[in-house]
Order: sequence, then structure tokens, then C-alpha cells
Amino acid sequence: MLDAGRHPNIEVLTHSELVRFEGRAGNFKATVRRNPRYVDEDLCTGCGQCVHDCPAIVPNEFEVGMGARKAIYSPFPQAVPNTYIIDQEACLNNQFLVCTNCMNSCDRNAINYDDVPREVELNVGAAVVATGFDVYNASAIAAYGYGLYDNVLTNIELERVLNASGPTQGHIVRPSDHKVPKKLAFIQCVGSRGEGKEAGCEYCSRFCCMNAVKDGLLVKQHEPDIEELLLFYIDLRAAGKGFEEFYQRSFEMEELKYVRGRPSKILEDPETKDLLVYFEDVETGEVKTEKVEMVVLSTGAVAAASNPELADVLGIELDENGFFEVEPRYGSPLHTARQGVYICGCAAGVNDISDSVAQASGAAAEAEKFIEKMVVEKEPEEKKEMDCSGPPKVGVFLCHCGINIAGVLNIDELKEYAETIPNVEFVENNLFLCSDEGQRLMQERIAEHGLNRVVAAACTPRTHEPVFRDSCEEIGLNPYLFEMVNVRDQCSWVHTRVPEIATQKAKDMIKLGVAKARHLQPLYKKSIPVNQSALIIGGGVAGMAAALELEAQGMKVYLIEKDGRLGGRLNNLTRVYPANLSAFELARVMVEKVKASRVEAMAGTEVNNITGFVGNFDVSTTNGNFKVGTIVLATGADIYEPADEFGYRQFENVITNQELEDILHDTKGKIQIHGETPKNVVFIQCVGSRDPEKNPGCSRYCCPTTIKQAIRLRESGVNVAVLHRDMRTVGAKAEEHYRRARQLGVKFIRFTPERLPGVTGDGDRASSVEILELALNRVLDIEVDYVVLAAGMVPNEKSTSKLQDILKVPRGADGFFMERHAKLGPVETTTEGVFLAGCVAGPRDIADSLAQGSAAAAKASSIITHEMVALEPTTCIVEQSLCRACSKCVEMCDYHAPTLADIAPGLKAAQINQALCKGCGTCASWCPTGAIVALHFTDEQINSMLDALLLDKV
Amino acid sequence: MAVKTEQAKKKKKSKKEFVPNIVVFACNWCSYAGADNAGTNRLQHSPHFRVIRTMCSGRVAPGFVLKALKLGADGVLVSGCHFGDCHYIFGNYKQVEQFEVTKGLVKTLGLDMKRIRLEWVSAAEGPRWAELINEFVQQITELGPSPLNHKPGHK
Amino acid sequence: MDTATEQLKKNRAFLCLECGKCTAVCPISKVNNAYSPRRLLAEGLFYGAGDLASDRLLWSCLTCLLCSQRCPVDVKYSEYMRDVRAVAYSQGYFGNPSHGGALHHIMEMAASPKLRQNRTDWITKDLKVKQKGEVLYFVGCLPYYEELFSKDFEYSPISIAVDTVKILNHLGIEPVVLDNERCCGHDLYWLGQLDRFDQIAKLNLGEMEQAGVKQVITSCPECAVALRRLYPERVGENGLDVRHISQVISENKSRLRLGRWDGEVSFQDPCRLGRFMQVYDEPREIMSLIEGLQLHEMAHNRRGAICCGTTNWINCDATCKQIQKGRLDEARAAGAETLVTACPKCQIHFRCAQCGEESDKNGMKITDFVNIVASALKS
Repeated sequence: MLDAGRHPNIEVLTHSELVRFEGRAGNFKATVRRNPRYVDEDLCTGCGQCVHDCPAIVPNEFEVGMGARKAIYSPFPQAVPNTYIIDQEACLNNQFLVCTNCMNSCDRNAINYDDVPREVELNVGAAVVATGFDVYNASAIAAYGYGLYDNVLTNIELERVLNASGPTQGHIVRPSDHKVPKKLAFIQCVGSRGEGKEAGCEYCSRFCCMNAVKDGLLVKQHEPDIEELLLFYIDLRAAGKGFEEFYQRSFEMEELKYVRGRPSKILEDPETKDLLVYFEDVETGEVKTEKVEMVVLSTGAVAAASNPELADVLGIELDENGFFEVEPRYGSPLHTARQGVYICGCAAGVNDISDSVAQASGAAAEAEKFIEKMVVEKEPEEKKEMDCSGPPKVGVFLCHCGINIAGVLNIDELKEYAETIPNVEFVENNLFLCSDEGQRLMQERIAEHGLNRVVAAACTPRTHEPVFRDSCEEIGLNPYLFEMVNVRDQCSWVHTRVPEIATQKAKDMIKLGVAKARHLQPLYKKSIPVNQSALIIGGGVAGMAAALELEAQGMKVYLIEKDGRLGGRLNNLTRVYPANLSAFELARVMVEKVKASRVEAMAGTEVNNITGFVGNFDVSTTNGNFKVGTIVLATGADIYEPADEFGYRQFENVITNQELEDILHDTKGKIQIHGETPKNVVFIQCVGSRDPEKNPGCSRYCCPTTIKQAIRLRESGVNVAVLHRDMRTVGAKAEEHYRRARQLGVKFIRFTPERLPGVTGDGDRASSVEILELALNRVLDIEVDYVVLAAGMVPNEKSTSKLQDILKVPRGADGFFMERHAKLGPVETTTEGVFLAGCVAGPRDIADSLAQGSAAAAKASSIITHEMVALEPTTCIVEQSLCRACSKCVEMCDYHAPTLADIAPGLKAAQINQALCKGCGTCASWCPTGAIVALHFTDEQINSMLDALLLDKV
Repeated sequence: MAVKTEQAKKKKKSKKEFVPNIVVFACNWCSYAGADNAGTNRLQHSPHFRVIRTMCSGRVAPGFVLKALKLGADGVLVSGCHFGDCHYIFGNYKQVEQFEVTKGLVKTLGLDMKRIRLEWVSAAEGPRWAELINEFVQQITELGPSPLNHKPGHK
Repeated sequence: MDTATEQLKKNRAFLCLECGKCTAVCPISKVNNAYSPRRLLAEGLFYGAGDLASDRLLWSCLTCLLCSQRCPVDVKYSEYMRDVRAVAYSQGYFGNPSHGGALHHIMEMAASPKLRQNRTDWITKDLKVKQKGEVLYFVGCLPYYEELFSKDFEYSPISIAVDTVKILNHLGIEPVVLDNERCCGHDLYWLGQLDRFDQIAKLNLGEMEQAGVKQVITSCPECAVALRRLYPERVGENGLDVRHISQVISENKSRLRLGRWDGEVSFQDPCRLGRFMQVYDEPREIMSLIEGLQLHEMAHNRRGAICCGTTNWINCDATCKQIQKGRLDEARAAGAETLVTACPKCQIHFRCAQCGEESDKNGMKITDFVNIVASALKS
């Protein structure tokens, strides 16, 4: 959020609505109504005095009503912009009471009670809808008593309760008596997977299963004395990278008990406020009642209430569930029917965080095609830099921040003290140092007194250091000779009641700042040229999508595929759900697009080696060598090949889902296998998935695939049974297809890994499958013509390990490549400039792979749209004469920035690639000889701070 | 063999209330931001600590902690991002390894292990920061001055 | 006479003939041309110690005594370095500390009278030690090295202490081990922190007096030099009889029952054991008693042995590593598989020199003299 707020190319308009949207892709006219916030964003410094003085208290919607806020407030702690807003409904001034507390408290005169809505017109090339979802209103299910019973919470409320900065500081207490509950129940699918009988949606809300498992573990972590936690579910849908493994680990928590079954009702004991949960344990068939002290409802996601209005303005449609409708033609989840308008995240249906983030990047890539000038760069100005080589002459500037600092700390005393610190040449205070006036004065003083180090005792460097640095730079003082002391956020604001001690502390803080400033050295941003081209490895859907996006943005793209033709796995599929597209058509269209484009596609080509770093990779392939600035890995995954499970090698009529797909591929109309329509087909799920020995993860794609194939067979009159552990139909419209399969009469029978189905037969043909039906506790013998094994997805060992070696992209325990961040960086890797798309990072379906292809393209283009890349100078460097080449730094750095190089014949030393180094300084603290210098946080600087603080030596 | 560590030799509380000298190393992205968050929320907490900001908790070498103790700090707190949240992916894991070394040395030096602490505070955990600081200051106050503190502060 | 002149006089620097023998023999100069003992001495002679104080090379000297041994006029170069460093230190200068200064912080903390360490965890029940008595085993920094280095090198430095006690018990000696023994101060002395050194010396001597100690045995030659030579020099005679463990074993060899220990070894003469204490024969003599052990002398041995390349945890760099690698290669050339040293620090430095790329790992095993003797003991 902060990054978006600070980005020079992003203007954040909060509290605003789109009212008109006219024109066409590449040239839209968007009219935005900016609702009044009654606080001037430009003047407000986010000091919070107004909030303190506001007398009106209302429930805080961010804390889901459990906490309180004022009428003037910031919606949540990290809100961007960090500006307050007045809630007109709560403001006393608006209720004909004369209260001007906030206006009086604001030294910046930022409060304006007469603020009115304004309309602004924006000229944009494209639009992305990312309006998210609403939480299902659980009170609609009367039987659960949400809103009626004190101790029934929703999962969203629990999230706040679990948060250390939430209303209970992270303590789990019952709303009725503020006691820690000993026994809890989680109920899944509240408002999801309804058959229309209960209010709510028909689809699966996808995120709630993992959310409940995670919260279950967190509850135990926060309140170790919890005795029992019952989790009621139908199918536990741990379908995402690493989710199944996480679910399996949750079994280690003894108190967490999974119960299959959805409770029918909850009753409250009016005296104790305990809750009685009525349910059938589906696995044993027993009808039971459990008394618990708190119930958490896993409420699902529903379409945002604002969708119809926005859809109307944008001229796009909503689907039957009220989400924005995806244009099915492209197979990708990002397109709407209107060119230039894209969707991502939960606006188009339910998605989890990592898919939402990938879709967001993908939508950005689509939008970029309609934006003419991608990079708005400031003209560099040549400036003469001040000489700072002489002894340090430190200027200390003290900010009052209105009364935020000066109201607590004794500024005169601080000033007097600062003047006594050695090397301090000049001290001055200012009412608002960050104001234009304050900055101008600071610049004048620096020039006047020849100051070569500057310390500002003000607010936090996290928000204001860039402002002060810019001011220093403007007058030719190297910005890295500036040091900030946070006497507001970390002193006056938090030690308000002890002003004398706080003043003493501020003195120490200033002393520390000066101690560090004395040792600051000028640093310079370096720029390195970027090779404005990309390499996509893998010519499947994800790779082709990435290549086409980048090409559309005018980039030079190399697409290499080891097979003889492009298309990847798409070549082996029949139809692609949810829209029932022809896989063949999709592949044909994409391959033709690639061929018609300027993408340099090379089939039958493999990578030999890649060297270099972001912006400058040297690629050697079996089909020639070239240079690129960025790389997308889209080499896909393999389908697990069953060994002898379920008679796979023994019986010829036991086939995999891929083999069935090949058969379906060649069949038009009624299904025939070897000239005959089979009568009975049984699917067995989770073959080579969810198996701690072979592949612990859930392969995610197989449940929807089975549903798709089962429907096709059933429509041809085949009797179909699906034997499964949990039906994990989590993709777009997958739950709807699951229901459709059931309506068509496909039987679904559950098994457990402890008792697997058995396939028996004569000679080389299987004749029946035996399974224990758990609800009836009876063994069923199903006659079969064919058994289809839903084989999982596994990493392609050969290509993955080769690319891992070459590019140093780490792989997870599951063998797939690891993302930079499981949630927030789903297509990025720890190797700068190298991105992931499709199944190379874990199993996923076509739609998700397409979205990821676009996402990887967006990330790749953010690197190669620039001719030069400026490197932050606060990195680590090696003083090579001190280096023993012990390779500790080389071994520890996840960014692979340090390497060993020959510096003289027979003499090696570490060197740190400045383009790869992120400046964390960890290698510097591990370096045994002190050869590594963490610039701006050097040993000398930190040690001098310790000396100043503890020895009183500056 | 009888070991006369500091803990075993804890002195009687002096009459004047002892004010500890505590050094806190906070990482820029999570813990320092968490301290700011405590500020934004005006969460009052003990003032008896001084923060040194580093970009990552991984930067806090055992040498810095030992130096602080040598110079008489009564307590040292190293605070970084929660696991999985490190801005630099691996820095906090590396700090765990480094802190093991620090702990081993501090134990051998016979200083009370409670004088040093490694904690994780996220950018949103202002309340946790305030609570942690209060708790640590309280703990160190109860322990009394470090044997290496030559001029313990008093109220 | 000002201090600088006094120092020069005391250390016989005025006698320098500028013959350059010192530089020719100096292990640092051999690798790093920028460093020259003769030039540093000349700088002091012509410009005074003040100018030298800010020179980082001042902290590079290994104080290995090889130059002084060769000097025709017996200039005390190492001592001269110590004195100039004391001036430099008082002006706020210091060399480039290794391991982020962690070891220096520990040494400096040792000077604090209130410190009560917890350093005897390694003493297991099978080791016989006592709290009062005439014979002291002075353990040195091993408990700290254990915390700092055992993970890096997959080697346990404290095993030297364990094996030393085992050997002493074998010889019928039940040594005193002090609960609160402090760093011997050796490094602080050579780093010019003489006030702190004196403080540590007094504290240690006090502890020993309380325990009734008359004889001190060390497994570290630096501790031996500090206690035997530097304590009397700085804080007066103490009447203690200080020996390195190799000397003690040699004196009691009649009681020694040694078995086999197979291996081809070279012996690294630690500077403090050899040139400072003239103990060359004792370790060799004991090793010759071990069946299966073949000693191969390196080209530079005994009086001419080359230092392990780093000292005082300061100014460790590529030069040091080259010295160490040279020494390891010398051992290899002599036909050894294992390099035996009698100083725990030498061992750490040699092990560190083998970290890095494959080419740095010349396969030489490193071990301590006491580890070998202990594993050859017959029970």
C-alpha cells in the first residue's frame, strides 16, 4: 500500500467513485467523483491531534464493530494516504451541535467543514476493476443465531480478535463475559455451497477452509490452554500450493478435531451463554450435540453490493452471482466484454490472495497495452555537489510538528543540549520542518553555515526521510549525509505523560543521530543499462501468454520450447472448463498469434546456460545465443505416472485421466473406447497427490478435470462413480459443475487413505472396484469397464533442476520453484529479473496459468521498459584487501549477490553484484574479517552510536 | 561445581528505583514500523530504551550485542519481522542463527540470559511493540543493573 | 625524554642498521609488499609514534618474533609495535577487528571485577578436577571459542580442555579449574590495552591465590606466555610455576601409557610456545612415543617456523589466508595428512583458511596436540 502511495506513476484517489466512463480502449474519459473528506490531504501531516481531541465515538467498522473510533479517523493503521477523514454521520458539528475541536486542534488548518464533492475528469488508456467482495451476512441463517447469540462470531471478526493490534490485543475472549473459551467450534461453508435452500451462494468461497485451519492453529498459539476446537466441514479444500501440507501439519495440534458434517442448528444456553451445536458426524453416522463456548462461522464471499452500479457505469455485465462477468473467449480470467476494461481478484469471483495478486499483475499487463507512455521519468538535472570531505559540520534541525513534539518535549532544552554535542555547528527549531517554508529555511541554513551533515529531529524516516533527502539534494548536499531522529512517533507520542523523561530520551536520540551523522559518507545512485528484451522458457499457455503480452508492449521477446511445437499441455486436452472452450481452438489461436507476432519463437530449443543478472542476462541455447534483460520460466510440470497403484500396470483398462483425455480428444459425439461405449466407469482421485511418500501436495487441477470428464461420459449415458477423499472443486464455476455432475447422476463416494479402494479383475482386464462406503459402513463392489486414475501433477525434475542450477531459483520441498512471497509475490522469484508463470511453481489450471503468464509479463516489463535501472546505493560492498574468500557471504545470500572473483593471480575475493544486492547487511554481520561494508549502516556507524549512548562519547 | 552466576547472586533491591539502560535494535521494515504504529496509536509505554535502526535484523551481529553489554547496557533487545515476513526473505532466519551464538557467549559470560532477547514485531503490531517494551523494561528493572554497568541510573 | 623517544630507546630501535633482514623474513611482507617492519620502524624513528598511530598496517604485525630473532642488533620490534599500539589506542585508533569485535568485547569484559562467568559446563563427571589445590589448569578462551566456532568448523574447541584434563588425570594430576578464570589478557597486551591487561592480571592472580595455586598448566601457549612472562613484567613477580601441557607431559612421561594413533603429521610450532618459550622438543618427543604416528618436519620448523598468520583477532585478511595456505601446502609437501598444532588459535585459523572454494580445501586435517595424545592414551 505504502509502495503504491509513494510510486511516482501512481496517483491514489481514495474516497472516490467512478461516475462516467466514455470512449474506447486507449482513450477513455473517466469521470471520478471525489467525495469530501473534510480534511485537506496536502496540508494534513497525519499527526493525529484532531483524533485525540474529537469527542464523538462510534463503533469501528474495521474492527467489525468490536472496537471504537472517533468521528474524525483514519480507517486503519496503514491507510494510504495517511490523512484523516470526517465521518459526517458521526460528527457532532453536523448534528447542529457546535463542536470545532478538530479544527481548533489542527495547526495546519487542514480541516474544512464546507468541503464538497468534486468531479475530476481523467484521461486513461484502460481500466482495471479490483473492487473485491462483500462478506456474506451470516445473520441470514437463523439456525446459527449470528447476531442473536453473543458468542457466535464470524471468521472475519476472529481475524481481528487474533490480531495483536485488534480490539482485544490478540486475546481470544468471549464477547459475553470476556473469558477465554476452552472449547470452540468452527463451522465451514456458512453462506457457501448452498443449494438455494439457505440464503447465500451456490459456489465455494474457496478461501474459508485454509482460513479456518490457519485460525485454528493461531487460536492455540494465542491461547495455549484451549481444550478443544471442533472444525465442521464438508470437504476440506486445501487446494493451493503448500496448502495440503499445511493442513496435514495441523493434525499435530491435538486439540483441533476435524468433524465431517454441517451442523443443523445452534442453541444458546441463556444463562452461561454457552452454545449447543447439533450435527451428524457423517463419517460415523452418529447424531450428536456438543456444548462449546464459542462458535466461529466461516462466512463466504458474495459479490460486492456496489457491483451493479459500477457495471452500469463501465458498460459491462454481471454474472448470475453478481460478480463481473469474464469474457470467456480468451480462456483467461482477466478480460471483460469491453476492450480496455479488465478485472482481477474477487471482483470476478472468489480468489485467494496469491491468485488475486497474480491476476492483478496480469490485468496490469493487459492494461499496459493501451497506455502510450509507460514510464514517466524526470529529466535528470546536473548539479554541483557540495564538498563534504572536511571534518563533519553537523546541523541539527528540531521540528515542533505543531504541538505534537513541542507539546511534550522541551524544545529549548533540546536545542541547548544539541549545541553542546561535538561537531554540531548549528541548531534551529521550526514549527513544521516538513512544510515548504521549513524546508526552504533548512536549505538556507545548510548553505549559510557550510553544513556537511544534517540531522532532523522530527517524525519517522519511513515517511519523511525522502522529503528531507530531496531537499538536501536540491542544494547539492549528498542526500545520504542526512540522518533522521524520530522524536515524534517513537518519543513524544508514546511518552506523553512523562515529558521530562521524554525530553531526556530525545536528547539521547539526537546524540545518537549526530554520532551516526558524523560517520555518514556520500553515496551515489548507480545506473546500469538494461537490455530491453525478454526470454520466455516454455511454449505452453503461460509462456505464450507472457510472450504475447510483452510483444504487444513493443518488447523484443524470445520464446523457446523444448518440444517440436508450441502449445504445451493444451495440445493434449479436449475442452477447457469453465467455459467449455475447445482446447484445440485455444491452442491454435494462441500459436497463430505468436507466429503472426514479432515474438521470436524457437521450438525444439533448450537452454544450455544463462549468466549475468537483472537487465543483462547472457543466454546460450541449442539454437544460438542472445542477450535479454529478464526471464520468465514457464516450463510447466509433469503428470504423475502411476506405478502399480490400483492395477495401473496390470490391467489395460485402468488408465489415467490424461489417457482418457486423449481418447476424448479423438472422439466426437458419443464416447467410444475401442469402438464401444463403456457402461461403467470409476474415477479414483488423488493418485500421486496428498501422499506423504510420493507427493504431499494437492494437485488442485484433478478434481475439476474429473468433474469435466465425468460429465462428458455421463452425457453419453455412462454410469460414472467418482471415488474421492475431498472434492476440491475450487476453480471458477467448478462447484457449479460439481453440482451439475451430481444432478446428472454421477455418484461420489468418499474413501480415506487408511482404506483405499481395491481394483480386481481377470487377466489383463479390471472388472470391479471395491470400496468401503463410510456412511453406510458397507463394502460396495462396483462393476467397471474402465477405471480412470486422477493422476496428480509433479515437477518436471530434469528441466526444473537444470534451471535451478543455472538461475539459482530455489525450489520448495514439493520440488516446484518457490515464489518470492507465497502470497504477495506469486510470480516473482528471489532471483531479480526472473519470473514464474504457470505450473512451474505448482499445479494450476489453464485460466490461472494464463493469468500468471500475463502477470509475469507485467513484472518482466517493469524491468525492461526502462533503458537504465538506477540502483539504490545503500547496498553492501567488499573491501577486497580484507577478504579471505571464505565464501560465507556467497553461501548465505538468498539473492546470490556475492560471488568469489579472481582479483590477482591465485587470489580470490568476494564481490557483491550491486544490481542484486538489496542492502539488508546480513552478510556484513557474518563476514569474519569485516571486509563487507553495509553502506549507511556500517560497523563504524553502529558502533559509534553505541559509544555515544553508553560511553557518552560522541 | 557451584556456579556463581549473576542470577544466583542477585542483590537485594536498592531503595531508589533503578532505571535500566536498554538498547533496542529494530529492523526498518517491521519492528521500527511497529514502533511507529505504537506512536500513531499513542500507545504509551516505558521510555527506558533507545532504538538503533538497521535495515534488517540480520544486520545485528553478535558483536553489536556484546559491545552494548560491555559498555554497560542492562538489556539488549533485537527485533525483526515475523518468519515469512522478512523484507529480505532470509534475514530474520539468519538472525536466529546469530542470536544462538550471542546467547551462547552471554551465557558463558555469566550474564543473565534474560538480559538479551530476540523478538518479532510486525509493522501493524503497535500494541505488541508497546507491550513487549513494557514487559522487557519491567524484566530488566527486576533483574537490576548489569554487573558491567558502572554507573546504573536511578530515578 | 618524551614517551616516543623512550619507547624507541627501550625497544632498542635506535640501533636499527636498516639491513632489512626483518622485512626479508617477515611472513606478512612476503605476501603483502606494503608491509615492512623496517619501514614502520623508520617511520617511528623519523616522525614519531604519533604519525604511525593512524596507520592501519600498525595492527598487521603478528608479533611472531621471527624478525627479532634474526635482527643482528636485537631490536625488539614486536614490543615496539605493542608500545606504538598503546599510543594509537589511547588516541582512539584500532585495527580491523575480526568477528565484529565479539572477541575483543569478551576480553574487555574480563577486566570487569563484577563479572561472574559460567564457564565450566564442559566438566563432565568422568573428569577429575577440584576447586582448591596447588596445580591449576588454566583453560583460557576455549569455552568462548566453543560458542563461536564449533558450528562453523564442525569441530569442538572445548575438546582441547576436556582432553587436557583427561591427560592430567592419566598422569595422576587432579587439577584445579577456576569457576571465574578470566581471559589471560594476552591479546589485550599486544593490542596496547595495558591498563586493562594489568587489571585482568591482578584479578586472575587474586583468584589463583585464593585457590592456593602454585603451579599453572595451560593448553594454550598464549596463556602460558601471559602468565609466565607478561604478568611478572606488568604487575610484579608472583612466584607461579607456569608450564604448557606439552612440558608437563614430558616431565611425567614415566607415568604415560601410550597406545597407537596412526597418521602422517607435521607439527606447527606456535610462536608463543616456540620462539617465546623455547619449547620445541617436548611435543615432538611425546609424539615420537606414539606408535603409528609419523612426524614429517615442514621446511620451516622450530626456530624458523612460520606463524599461523593471524593474531589478536585483528587485521585478518587475504594476506593472512595466503600465509595459512602456504603453511598448509608446506605440510602437504612434507608428506603430512594432519597438521598438529599446540595452540587452539592456530587451529581456528588453519580451519578458516580451508573455507571457501574447492581450491582452498587442500584436504589437510587439523588437530591439537592434546587431542592426539588423549586419543592415544591407554586406559
